Amino acid sequence: MRELELYFGPQHLGMVGNFSITLKVEGDRILEAQANPGYLHRGFEKLMEYRTWIQNFPMVCRINVIEPDSMEMVYAMAVEKLAGIEVPERANYIRTIVLELSRVSSHLFGLWAYANMLGFDTVAQWAMYHRDLILDLFEELTGGRVYHIYIWPGGVRRDFPEGFKDKIVNTLHSIGSCIPDYDNTFFNNRLFYERAKGIGKITQKEAKELGATGQVLRATGEKFDIRKVEPYAVYDKVDFEIPTREDGDAYSRIWVIRDEMIESVHMIFKLLDAMPEGSVYNKVPNPFKWKIPKGEAYVRVESSRGELGLYMVSNGEDKPYRVHFRTPSYTHGLVILEKLLKNASIADVGNIMISLYVIAPEIDR
Amino acid sequence: MTEGGYVGVTASSMIMTNKKLKEELESTFKDIQVIVPEDTRLNITAREEDALTILKFLKDRGFNFLTLISCVDWIKENEFELVYIITSYLQKNDEYTQREKLQIILKTRISRTIPESKTVTPIFSNAEVYERELHELFGIKFEGNQRLIPLFLEREYKIPPFRKDFDTREYVKEVFDKIPFV
Repeated sequence: MRELELYFGPQHLGMVGNFSITLKVEGDRILEAQANPGYLHRGFEKLMEYRTWIQNFPMVCRINVIEPDSMEMVYAMAVEKLAGIEVPERANYIRTIVLELSRVSSHLFGLWAYANMLGFDTVAQWAMYHRDLILDLFEELTGGRVYHIYIWPGGVRRDFPEGFKDKIVNTLHSIGSCIPDYDNTFFNNRLFYERAKGIGKITQKEAKELGATGQVLRATGEKFDIRKVEPYAVYDKVDFEIPTREDGDAYSRIWVIRDEMIESVHMIFKLLDAMPEGSVYNKVPNPFKWKIPKGEAYVRVESSRGELGLYMVSNGEDKPYRVHFRTPSYTHGLVILEKLLKNASIADVGNIMISLYVIAPEIDR
Repeated sequence: MTEGGYVGVTASSMIMTNKKLKEELESTFKDIQVIVPEDTRLNITAREEDALTILKFLKDRGFNFLTLISCVDWIKENEFELVYIITSYLQKNDEYTQREKLQIILKTRISRTIPESKTVTPIFSNAEVYERELHELFGIKFEGNQRLIPLFLEREYKIPPFRKDFDTREYVKEVFDKIPFV
């Protein structure tokens, strides 16, 4: 049969954002795939070298559009580590709650993308609506729906407004009460099973060799999660489970996402109960004159997609000397995607890509 | 112990593991500097030609997860610093030990005038894409990496854009000021 080259994306319904794949196909079979990132970024790592430590925040949150909070967290952690700043206990609790809220909102967005791709439009709309309820919470807390710039070096920008705890509880209850609906319509649906079972399968050994983290690894049975491996904020003070599945296929990955969402909601309730009183911010020096001592740091957090790391070098100036982000989608979208697409059929490209939970802005530099 | 496990060392005593690893590294390799800045970190500075063997050494001892390869442009010293960050996946699936907390940062310096290094893809296969990135953004050639094809950039640059002597603002003025407003 004749071999053809097929360009999949960046303008394509099955594509997640500004990203494309060049496929070499024979009939319906994919012989080879090459991921092409680079459509939307602007060299943010380089630009950060021109800006002061605080001025970088508006750029940091734009690296992952869906879930800016873990990006802010990892940057704040790196700055705190280099400058030796302590964070108040209450701020750590607020940070953890915000990070878990953003995990839920990100997973709902992921569910929207996946359900939409499979043609479950109703479920997709529910997920988008529920995500919007969480964005409302963020708007009240931070002033921004999408980009929050809320987590700063030294703590968080402001305390919870009055009555905010109850609002979180009410919102999460109204989302949680719909879980049976989600299960009946989507997760326990035969169509989902038929369409996702065995698609994009990866074994644990392969996943580890290729540097997988997050759901991709947890769907193969490994409980690797930075929140447990190297706890930050107050993850060592709260009790939670790491959901896993055994099969390593798209079906398992989506189930892991669902279970994680529920676990996060439980965690938020526990954190709200245990939250101490106190200040939420330790003052940092004047941002325009703030020089951070020479040094280097590598810090990592568990974003909703996997291990998110930041290697940062300071040479004693008021700006970072080098910033390098290690994003989970980088490995998943460039290494694992290319591997899983080999011998897949064209109809499964979107299925595999969205189940890997790849987000394009994270890949670009 | 699972394959490649660190036999004979109880995972609970982190400082022991750190010290033992430090001693082992120092006795095996010459011209190597090992620092333990805190309990969960180990910084190694080594010669470029030893990097591959050190990575192999670490992987054999269970540090099987290459997290990141980065590069820092030390322009005043006329050197590039390659940074390999290595950790490990879980040793036992249902147990979190001090062992996984340990992060190893391996640093080697190469000349900035002839930026060349050996690929580490035979040891860590996910290194390929990081080396592609550094090849494109810093102009470092990784000998043995068969796939140093373009990754992000769409144009040719005289100086690779992430080097310190590449001025982003100058470049933007030069290239985009010529394009008239519509």
